Amino acid sequence: MAKVQEITVWASGVVQDKEARDVAQCLAAAAAKEGKFVQAFDNYVDLPDRVNVPVRKYARISDSEIEEKYVYENHNPEIVILVEPTLVKGVNVLRGMEGDGCLIVNTGRSPEEILKFIPDKKPLKKIACVDAMKICPKAVIDFSGSEGAVEAAGVGVGIGAVLAGAAAKVSGCVAIDSLMSEVGNPEAAKRGFDEVTIKEL
Amino acid sequence: MGTKKFLTGLGATATAVKMADVDVITSFPIRPYTGVMMILSQMVANGELDAEFIHADGEHAQLSICHGASAAGARTFTGSSGVGVTYAFETYSPISGGRCPVQMLIADRTLDPPGDFGSEHTDALGCRDQGWIMGWAETPQEVFDNTLIYYRVGEDPRVRLPQFNCHDGYFVSHIPGEVEIPDQSQVDEFLPPYRPVDPLDPQKPVGHGPQIFPDQGPALEAMRHNAMMAAMPAIEEAIDDFGRIFGRKYAPFVEEFMTDDAELAFFINGAHAHTARYAIKHLRERGIKVGLVKIRFIRPWPTDLLQESLSRFKAVGVVETNSSFGIARGGGILAPEVCGSLYDVPQRPLIASFMGGLGGEPITLKEFDFIAGKLKKIAESGKIEKPVYWLGFEE
Amino acid sequence: MKSHEVKIAKEKLLPEAGIVKAPSPNGEQETMITGCWRVLRPVIDREKCTMCRSCWIFCPDQAIEIAEEKMAVKLKYCKGCGICAEVCPVGAIERVPELDFEDGVVRLEKLF
Repeated sequence: MAKVQEITVWASGVVQDKEARDVAQCLAAAAAKEGKFVQAFDNYVDLPDRVNVPVRKYARISDSEIEEKYVYENHNPEIVILVEPTLVKGVNVLRGMEGDGCLIVNTGRSPEEILKFIPDKKPLKKIACVDAMKICPKAVIDFSGSEGAVEAAGVGVGIGAVLAGAAAKVSGCVAIDSLMSEVGNPEAAKRGFDEVTIKEL
Repeated sequence: MGTKKFLTGLGATATAVKMADVDVITSFPIRPYTGVMMILSQMVANGELDAEFIHADGEHAQLSICHGASAAGARTFTGSSGVGVTYAFETYSPISGGRCPVQMLIADRTLDPPGDFGSEHTDALGCRDQGWIMGWAETPQEVFDNTLIYYRVGEDPRVRLPQFNCHDGYFVSHIPGEVEIPDQSQVDEFLPPYRPVDPLDPQKPVGHGPQIFPDQGPALEAMRHNAMMAAMPAIEEAIDDFGRIFGRKYAPFVEEFMTDDAELAFFINGAHAHTARYAIKHLRERGIKVGLVKIRFIRPWPTDLLQESLSRFKAVGVVETNSSFGIARGGGILAPEVCGSLYDVPQRPLIASFMGGLGGEPITLKEFDFIAGKLKKIAESGKIEKPVYWLGFEE
Repeated sequence: MKSHEVKIAKEKLLPEAGIVKAPSPNGEQETMITGCWRVLRPVIDREKCTMCRSCWIFCPDQAIEIAEEKMAVKLKYCKGCGICAEVCPVGAIERVPELDFEDGVVRLEKLF
């Protein structure tokens, strides 16, 4: 069974739930476009989300069919994306990361400021920051929640697109062209790709 | 032809319900099935689906409203999960005995206590004696297809029985998969409008569900039995027609995978068949010839077909994602039915139950390896070591 | 008769029926630490504070306590909802981005 690349997106419940879902969906859709086998889904027990509760969204990308697709969490994420930067203080977001992983944070602060809150930097190869709200001042809130979502506002039309673009640049998990064809706002994704600040460790 | 979309099991159900032009939908929230009602309510609000959407004050009310609506001639849809299914328990027999072809989505959830969203089949299996057609879907595509097939079978004039359209909560209801959505014209060809018999109608008054004396009981029960038996040819015809119109050919009752040269078999119901197929491929690479027998309908239970299918194996492992504490042989619900099916057959496999996936835990490839290892030992030694194994608790 | 019990390893045992023995209302619910929800921290200006206890009464999570005769926020549980800042009659509570502070790190391994 080929390796499965695990992507975990952390966000604040309700206010960022939809955008976080979009990050995972768009990265998976872009990878599917490139012929990979993918999964994109929400963490089951984080839902139903309450305002500001930490929620997780997952994507999995693999060169061959994903055999154990029912595993509830991404236990060994390679790529961690924080839609809510404060979660670096609240949760060990690098838990399970095995090495050479990358962390992409939605913030105007510098990577050094974020690194202050990560005592064990060993699993991390790169940390990146991108101020998604400044690039694309739009964050869709969908009160349907993930379970009854019909995506009436579109997928990847706000900060989710920016973060997906940034994640594509930092990790190289998908090509920017594939991503731009799968998001509602391709310019935002491209700007996230171009403007993310990366620090190698 | 069809368009391909990535939908969850719930999204697939909602799309199928919309295309089936359901008349009455009743809702009451309980995870994990709730999402389907959220999607359907948006469809009704947007005018995509012309239906009465009634938010009931409990699962019992959900089913009771559907009972009345169906008795008046409406095509109805409702759903629940876990303890919601058991909350409505009183209504199931009146609906099936009343010959109202209500369709109920059951997105499985472990029964309380405590509160566990994970999938176990006991919520639906606990209702298997209530006279409803019941079966499981493994993927969102199967969920979509089953929704249409169950209406067709349930509303068949020879049958007229309600249906439990079941799939695993989260594994199938929440994880998206590719679904090919047909054209409306194909759905209309496959699923004709519902033609009720003796519906509630003020112009032609009838009485449903009167009081009877015990001497009328036996015939009424026998007629209900015959209706369920009529479901078997109805299912075969519907599946046949489905393949012709939509291009997807399902095995009606029993689906087999890599069984031609297999001595050992996994007997599974529901989502874990997905992982089982990969486990089988890996086991065969290591020289262990296992096959998969997946059962698609729990009611009506395909006794004859299972006799044909299972008698070819030396050992069968029944994977039980359910519980009935104190049942015969001390395992789950499916094994006694499997054993009962094979009782009259001279050539029988040895059968062991494997309690797995309880509480909604995924059954891993390693656990399937364990099952195959035990089945191999059973087949070689010619006798079972014990009738039930609890995956995760064995050495 | 044979025993048909399942052997459950000690480390897998759970309380019967999953019963949670929660501490008394005045104690802490350590199985649900909610400080990780907080994005804006309530900072109480000790000069302005009149010890009226409005924040303590209105806090939905009992995350404000009286410690050493001063109002104090329990950072382990405060969700940053901002109700205390809203109800303070003298405007003594300001909501400041949590990332501005180096302390108050909860860093849960598991959410619950």
